[in-house]
Amino acid sequence: MSSVPLSSQAVSRPRASAPLRFAPWVVLAALAAIPLVAPAFGLDYYIEFVRRVLIVTIAAASLNVILGYGGMVALGHAGFIGVGAYTVVALVDAGFDQVWLAWPLAMLAAAGFAAIIGAISLRTRGVYFIMITLAFAQMLYYVAVSLSTYGGDDGYGIYSPLSLGWFEGWHPHMLYWIVLALAAAAFALVGRLAGSRFGKALQGIRDNETRMAAMGYPVFAIKLAAFVGAAAVAGLAGAMLAVNNAFVSPSLMHWTESATLLVMVVLGGLGRRWGAPLGVAVWMTLAEVLKLHTAYWHWPMGVALLLVVFFAPRGLAALADRRREAA
Amino acid sequence: MNTIFVIEQLLNGIGYGFMLFMLAAGLTLVFGIMDTMNLAHGSLYMAGAYVAAKVHAGSGFFVGGVLIAVAITVLIAFLLEMVIVRRLYQRDHLAQVLATFGIILIADDLVHALWGPSPIMAPTPAALTGPVQVLDGLPYPSYRLLMIGTGLVVAIGLYLLVNRTRLGMLVRAGASNRRMAEFMGVRVARVFSFVFALGAALAALAGALMGPISAVQIGMGESILIPALVVIVIGGIGSIRGAFVASLLVGMIDTAGRAFLPPLLRAVLPPTLAADLGPALAGIAMYLLMATVLSLKPAGLFPARS
Amino acid sequence: MSTSASLPDGADAPLRFLADPLTHKPLFAAQGLVKRFGGLLATDHVDITVLPGEVHALIGPNGAGKSTLVNLISGLLPADDGQLVLDGVDLTRMAPHQRVRHGLSRCFQVTSIFRGDTVRENLLLAAQAHAGSSFGCLGVRSQEPALRETALALAEKVGLADTLDHIAGTLPHGAQRKLDVALALAARPKLLLLDEPMAGMGPEDSLRMVELIDRLRADTAILLIEHDMDAVFQLADRISVLVYGRVLTCGNAAHIQGHPEVQAVYLGTEAT
Repeated sequence: MSSVPLSSQAVSRPRASAPLRFAPWVVLAALAAIPLVAPAFGLDYYIEFVRRVLIVTIAAASLNVILGYGGMVALGHAGFIGVGAYTVVALVDAGFDQVWLAWPLAMLAAAGFAAIIGAISLRTRGVYFIMITLAFAQMLYYVAVSLSTYGGDDGYGIYSPLSLGWFEGWHPHMLYWIVLALAAAAFALVGRLAGSRFGKALQGIRDNETRMAAMGYPVFAIKLAAFVGAAAVAGLAGAMLAVNNAFVSPSLMHWTESATLLVMVVLGGLGRRWGAPLGVAVWMTLAEVLKLHTAYWHWPMGVALLLVVFFAPRGLAALADRRREAA
Repeated sequence: MNTIFVIEQLLNGIGYGFMLFMLAAGLTLVFGIMDTMNLAHGSLYMAGAYVAAKVHAGSGFFVGGVLIAVAITVLIAFLLEMVIVRRLYQRDHLAQVLATFGIILIADDLVHALWGPSPIMAPTPAALTGPVQVLDGLPYPSYRLLMIGTGLVVAIGLYLLVNRTRLGMLVRAGASNRRMAEFMGVRVARVFSFVFALGAALAALAGALMGPISAVQIGMGESILIPALVVIVIGGIGSIRGAFVASLLVGMIDTAGRAFLPPLLRAVLPPTLAADLGPALAGIAMYLLMATVLSLKPAGLFPARS
Repeated sequence: MSTSASLPDGADAPLRFLADPLTHKPLFAAQGLVKRFGGLLATDHVDITVLPGEVHALIGPNGAGKSTLVNLISGLLPADDGQLVLDGVDLTRMAPHQRVRHGLSRCFQVTSIFRGDTVRENLLLAAQAHAGSSFGCLGVRSQEPALRETALALAEKVGLADTLDHIAGTLPHGAQRKLDVALALAARPKLLLLDEPMAGMGPEDSLRMVELIDRLRADTAILLIEHDMDAVFQLADRISVLVYGRVLTCGNAAHIQGHPEVQAVYLGTEAT
């Protein structure tokens, strides 16, 4: 066997070109400007839409961490969104209306459930893991449906908006900017995570779990930490949705919601920091646009899914790679 | 709660279990042999239900409706396999989940376009509207007895097919160890197309039979898909025997849970708590069963995979 | 502890050290290891010891249970019975990653590396496991100078220094096996389990690997599973022969070569 490598070549990872590196800031500025600019065009309705997209992006980003970096196909992530939302409901029902109390508590509640669910589920692998996470989410769903105090299947309406605490009254669209700030923080964290020790360990576990254990990594603890952390962020997203929609119903945690979240992350690009924002934005915008024109808005989404699976399996964010490499 | 009620619920559970079995059998073989997660299986069930209901309502022929439903669904399944599912065999589970989820979305809109957004009527065949005296004091709907009977026949037929025929042996070989079977010369791809079609036929049959007693509507496929998946995980992926045992278990626990838990809880807990807890526990009963089984037997009751 | 497993039967003591049990306690001892797969007794009350600084080879025909034994020692498979002690610490109940923390490390018969990453990234990942916590979320790992130094040192040790920026999956087989060993070395182990390091290698690569293992004996005790008998006789201080899950005999090269049962079972039928 020759010792001169024939096919092996030194690789330099392509550095993002200058325009691409400033993209996050440009996008952030554009998004921040929306509440100021939209009314001028009579597009006020879309401020709430963008706000919702941002919130779902936060949930999708957390799923991207455990799925894209960690390789854990969790089909029950919407369950944690629901836990967060219902925490807000419980607090509102008990008379607490401070966002800065409700949201951290929502994260804590979601993390708590995730610690138990994760400790059990992460002992399984492959399709069994998918099924167990699904089962737990469905259990949470049924519990929510049966909680008659919180509206059960009909849902719970939040009639007086929650207070934004210190930020209350600053501007009619203050909630939007708070949501944007949190979404930006989530985006930055997910990006940072990829190159961090924890992120590298997680990706190593995704790529070769046996080897990671053989190298001394506490694999179970790392996976559980990621699972719980992601659930906490999903819980935050759920709590934010509760405030955004002023309404919470168990359908938030139905398995089809988990599947849709999965779809959005894969569409955008697994394991890429732009994966969640791109996937959520494209999917929700497509749905919104289609809904305006037809009652039959499911099938184009289905076709889009098939196109992604067969022609862009690494997602939209990866399409930018091909262009860069070709250049 | 008397014995009559208990027996009635048991029979209902068995009937539901048999229907679940018909769905799970196809699903477990597809998963077992081709390692492919096919969420669109529920859509085939829906197709069977709709076509049977429409043909029956239009022509008055129940059996004819069922047969036509099965035939059309098998045709659809062939096309589906050829165009999409075949390309998913070598992909990972995530890609399969996504692609078949896409098929669900398309199917839902197709049904919407053909038959409208509201649930449709699936009439019970005229000859079977009356009850049968199963026991003293227990009149049981004859239609449900038909369901149980059909389920039994299908189960026996599948057992004979899988265990007594050469084709069945090939199927079992493929489910147990596909690579090895291929090395031994089994045309696994051909076996698989047959299995996919058979699974579709059974799903359509289940849909056609369930129509009169449940709601025929868009989304019915998704709602029965989850119990079917739970069944194949409990039973062991790739195992027909496992699917049979598990579907009866799940069918009975689900039915019994919904029937017996609320009154049971009302007897021991304060009414408000019982009113909440009853339906919740009934809903999660099958998941608790799955979790329990998996903790004792991580690969299901009768894992077919070697 | 059975002395018959630690003393060569009447053969000359290895030159590198004295095998007197009074002055040389084994660094590692596996006692009475048992593993059953259903009705099959894959590991049948195996006793094996590794002395400090020793290269102890494990040979045996295919199906003898060598891989099972390695998996039992490294913790990938739980033992049905028996005990494992490394440097005074009882490893028997520990999970694989905990055994690594106590000085055990292994490489794999079927190369187990991170194919999509560069050699450097592979080594950084290995180094990271032994340089503080892996829960840091905000730092940039690739900029940690200590880790980069460790990665470079590991690469130089195995001879991969000029391929640091190559994608691991594109390396030729021999280089990938070297990387596999390097990943195991990052743990700075007291005992290194080498599971057929020469698997699938041609003569030139095998020579390099033998040289590498020879260099490593200064740093760590080694339990070497191999089929390549030239390498085994060249490197091993002691050799244990495993047949049908049992240790047939244990001794130095001369002892093994002269042992009639070993000749019959293994050396006679195996062409190297």
